[in-house]
Amino acid sequence: MRVRFRHRLAAGAQRTVCRVVLFFLFRALNALSVRDSRVAAETALWPEQRVLGLEVPGGPALYISRRAERLARLKSAPTPDILIRFKSVRDAFYVFTGQMGVAAAYAQHRFTVRGNVSETMGFVRCVDLAEGYLFPPFWAKSILKELPEKQISSLRLYGAVLLGR
Amino acid sequence: MPSYYEFKLPAKILSGDGALEHIPHELEALGSARPLLLSDEGLVKAGAVAAVEGAMAQGGGAFAAQFCRIPPDSSIQTVNEIAAFFREKNCDGLVAVGGGSVIDTAKGVGMVLAQGSGDLLQNTGCEVLGRGNHVPFIAVPTTSGTGSEATLVAVVANPEKHVKMEFISYHLLPDAAVLDVRMTASLPPRITASTGMDTLCHAIEAASCLQRNPVSDAFAEKAMGLVMQNLPAAVENGQNKAARLAMANASLLAGAAFSNSMVGLVHAIGHALGGVCRVAHGDAMTILLPAVMEFNLPVCGVRYGELLLALAGPEEYAATPAPDRAAAAIRAVEALRSRLHDACGLPATLRDTGRVEKSAFEAVARTALDDGAMIVNPRQASFEQVLAILEKVW
Repeated sequence: MRVRFRHRLAAGAQRTVCRVVLFFLFRALNALSVRDSRVAAETALWPEQRVLGLEVPGGPALYISRRAERLARLKSAPTPDILIRFKSVRDAFYVFTGQMGVAAAYAQHRFTVRGNVSETMGFVRCVDLAEGYLFPPFWAKSILKELPEKQISSLRLYGAVLLGR
Repeated sequence: MPSYYEFKLPAKILSGDGALEHIPHELEALGSARPLLLSDEGLVKAGAVAAVEGAMAQGGGAFAAQFCRIPPDSSIQTVNEIAAFFREKNCDGLVAVGGGSVIDTAKGVGMVLAQGSGDLLQNTGCEVLGRGNHVPFIAVPTTSGTGSEATLVAVVANPEKHVKMEFISYHLLPDAAVLDVRMTASLPPRITASTGMDTLCHAIEAASCLQRNPVSDAFAEKAMGLVMQNLPAAVENGQNKAARLAMANASLLAGAAFSNSMVGLVHAIGHALGGVCRVAHGDAMTILLPAVMEFNLPVCGVRYGELLLALAGPEEYAATPAPDRAAAAIRAVEALRSRLHDACGLPATLRDTGRVEKSAFEAVARTALDDGAMIVNPRQASFEQVLAILEKVW
């Protein structure tokens, strides 16, 4: 009984962390879509009506779509065109807390992809770039194959993320 | 050792003398009484289909229907057409006799039927499909290259988008893989060489990419050794049964390895060359493998050094100082390619294929970056770096 309670408590805490990280991840991607030429080039190729979802089992979730030059976060999406769904809260927690990169998570079967696999690659590159800004270099180096060159300072990105611009 | 890994190879392996004659027994065990035979026109002419039909007849069985018009680069439309044909003929099992295209098509058909859908495009994704109403499925490879009989991947062309789409699910794997040298004995030297290099590429990429694990490593390293020891013999004398059977096993082992650890940049660019320029898959692998190994060398040096043991044997491994082993491993691959080029004209450059114009490089590079195999390549590759690799192998 106590063990089950502890597990539920841990999962609840991990979900909360994931919810917070998804909030900042979306804002970071949105900010980079007009501040980093590589992210801008990737998102410019996304069809406007296409919805990409990132789901943690039992919640939370992030559904994004492109609106002109920026990204929009949708409240819900019953059938996203592309859905990346983690297999467990723990898997999502590893990725969202920077303990594991997206490539390693894929290699370790920690999420599934519904939809055209090749269409997820651009999103993965954008997340890698965002992680390169959001995490300190020594940390980012441990989860990315290569440290991306920054086109703006991380501080400027943090500012944009906090202000939601 | 990865902190977590998964490995699955459910296919029963029937390898060697008389393997074809065991197909009726396997179908019966799988509960299939009305199997559909899938193959291509070339294999009908070559007598491979007749050999399988003969083996079925010996066991008192027969195919309920046949579809032997699968093209070399099968498409989503072909898969959907066959699924409808399967339902029309009231079949209950699949026997695929062919190379990668035929077996991947059969996987697609099996997936559409199991999911009860009418269109393969509804089943795109990675590890999202349930088992559904699984259709008994036996794969009889007629080349020793794709390893498709042991992989969870089906590559099917989408002609509208000029890309090859990947479908990834453990439920795509056949129930049985039949390795019989009668199926590969008539393969011309050039195709034997090209498909054999594809096997080597599967093994090397599986043994060095991010998803590698102890079990896939064991499969991959055994496959490399079998290719290095038997591919030249199979090319030089197609009737060498020992070499043919060894290559069939190498192909299956490498297939099982990369099915559980994926492939990397060689395949990402190779798929793009196939989709954009119609370069034969094995030829693309042959041309790209050493160049991509050199590209990955800064992050794969230690691993390539370890692979020298399988690629060149214990004596050369022991005689090569540790810091030189990775370069020696690449040289061993180049030496094999060179030998095969001399033996049967296997292309060593993109120019040799006669299918690639330099003007297509940008489209190839863009397509390669979006290939699913890119994510597990150990080194990040940018658009410019892919272009540089294409220039290098031009």
